[in-house]
Amino acid sequence: MTTAAADTEVQPLLEVDNASKTFDIKLGLKRAHVYAVDEVSISVQPSSTLGIVGESGCGKSTLARLILGLYPADRGEIRFAGQSLPRRGKRPRAVLEQMQMVFQDPYSALNPRASIGQSIAFPLQVQGMAKSEIRDRVARVLQDVGLHGNYATHYPHQLSGGQRQRVNIARALATAPRLVVLDEAVSALDKSIQAQILNLLDDLQRAYQLTYIFISHDLNVVEYMSNRVAVMYLGQVVETCAADELYQRPLHPYSQGLLASIPTLDGASAQPAQVAGEMPSPLNPPSGCRFRTRCPFATDTCAAHVPVLAEAEPGHLVACHLYPSSQPTTTSTTTPNTTPTTT
Amino acid sequence: MTVESPPRTVEALREAWYAQDIEVDARPFWAETWRRFRGNWVGVLSLAILILLAGSAVLAPLLTSQDPLVGQPIDRLRGLFSPGHPLGTDEMGRDMLARLLYGGRMSLIAGFLPTLVATLVGTLIGTWAGFVQGAVGTVLMRLMDMLYAFPAILLAIAVSAALGPGLTNAIVAVTIVFIPPVARVAEQATRSVVVQEYMEAARLSGAGRFKLLRTQLLPNVLNDIVVYASGLVGVAMVIAASLSFLGLASQPPTPEWGYMLEGLRGSIYLAPVLVVLPGIFIFVTSVAFNTFSDALREAMNTRLN
Repeated sequence: MTTAAADTEVQPLLEVDNASKTFDIKLGLKRAHVYAVDEVSISVQPSSTLGIVGESGCGKSTLARLILGLYPADRGEIRFAGQSLPRRGKRPRAVLEQMQMVFQDPYSALNPRASIGQSIAFPLQVQGMAKSEIRDRVARVLQDVGLHGNYATHYPHQLSGGQRQRVNIARALATAPRLVVLDEAVSALDKSIQAQILNLLDDLQRAYQLTYIFISHDLNVVEYMSNRVAVMYLGQVVETCAADELYQRPLHPYSQGLLASIPTLDGASAQPAQVAGEMPSPLNPPSGCRFRTRCPFATDTCAAHVPVLAEAEPGHLVACHLYPSSQPTTTSTTTPNTTPTTT
Repeated sequence: MTVESPPRTVEALREAWYAQDIEVDARPFWAETWRRFRGNWVGVLSLAILILLAGSAVLAPLLTSQDPLVGQPIDRLRGLFSPGHPLGTDEMGRDMLARLLYGGRMSLIAGFLPTLVATLVGTLIGTWAGFVQGAVGTVLMRLMDMLYAFPAILLAIAVSAALGPGLTNAIVAVTIVFIPPVARVAEQATRSVVVQEYMEAARLSGAGRFKLLRTQLLPNVLNDIVVYASGLVGVAMVIAASLSFLGLASQPPTPEWGYMLEGLRGSIYLAPVLVVLPGIFIFVTSVAFNTFSDALREAMNTRLN
């Protein structure tokens, strides 16, 4: 794995700049806003893996869909290979081909009425590729993921979960993308199958110079796969750093709590405080720092000011008032979500 | 951990995967559905009955030489197994077997045609409403609900009476009655399909809305609709027969099972067995369609795998 320092001169393949997405829902008769993703900024270097970690409901999957254009972002900018992508409306096909996604549930990610070959060929048909070329490409991606070519005529219900997930990966690879977003791609599989799929993903990344965004709630898996990790909480990124740095020296109290809660097989030594309580509802996030309700180090500043995601150490960004880099400038005394833009 | 030592390199991994692959025959969806259906004897029996009835209706001229429209009043109400009239004669002396066979044509047409048209129109409306949702979807479905609120028979009678007597008008009436339920089924099926992840994956390919609808959504929605529609044919037949019984559909002397019931009604104390014959045919056909539709639904349900 390349170090973070070597990558800083290369232009990031994907940059997300203060992207926000709010969903309007009805609570009884009233309307409420769910701040699913709130001013998130990440960047991914080419041929590397960015891991995104967080509890369920922190907005990871929404962020994935914002990146791919499945949901339109309300605010913010997304840049792919330096090119800014339109927030609403269809993206140019040249861009769509280069970004693909592998979904979580292998069972609902494949059309039950289409054969495997048809499912994989669909994006190629939309592109207008010739039939013989499509056949060759389908055979090649199936081989890449370790499935026999004659599986192309089979139907999803004839395959096991691990095989279906491999088909999903094959479908994502069919258009020869540069960026692959893996949204909890191994979470629904058994541990032994998980290991196989992770090895396969690693191999494919090396073979095709792929860039991964690996989203998971499983810290062990993210540590194994990622070069850099972003930790999300309640729609915001609270820490971004290199993977080994996160696991050795987490700076944000939430990251520290998450890592402390990984079960280990050696005898329990004195563990720092684990994260207590439950995540607050995204309908009504706490003012200031959103983690303050569960943070053992919360102070009054945390309730009043929003911490800025800033570099506490080289290559290590944190959003926490414990670090002077996150002290707000004079203007950021209001929380960003009190002034929603009209869409 | 694993029983045997896991393969080290990814190449070795792939070799292990290939070794586990068993030759599975590719089975297209309909072949697979038929294989399952075959195992359900009730479904197969109902299908056999339906084929028998439809076949006999189509081949009516070959099966009987009697004229269904003309009879001698002196021959009226002969019992079963009379010479020359295997199923007896009706109140006007017409041969029952001939009338039942030719009447089967009318009844089957009155069953299939409205169902077919209602399925086409209802699927279009329901699928579109479920796909676009929003204001358009809501308006469409509320319109359907307005019609759906009426009991089927009542609505059929009202439309039929408004249009005037005749089998054609009755078919139109039944079609109108069936469009809302089919639209409902289509909309529900569509709503449950659009949230599936493969729809999102298909959107990532950059396909336009119509292509998505046609290639990804429709094949999955048609499953539920076909199952529902196959049950509707029997219901359509019963409604058409009811309309004929009331004199709103088939006019004399057209043979049609419902109309025959109405004509024979007065003779129920004289020849009870004759009178129930058309009713038995309606009953058997309707039950056969329902059973077939249930068996089809079970055979199509691949999620149990």
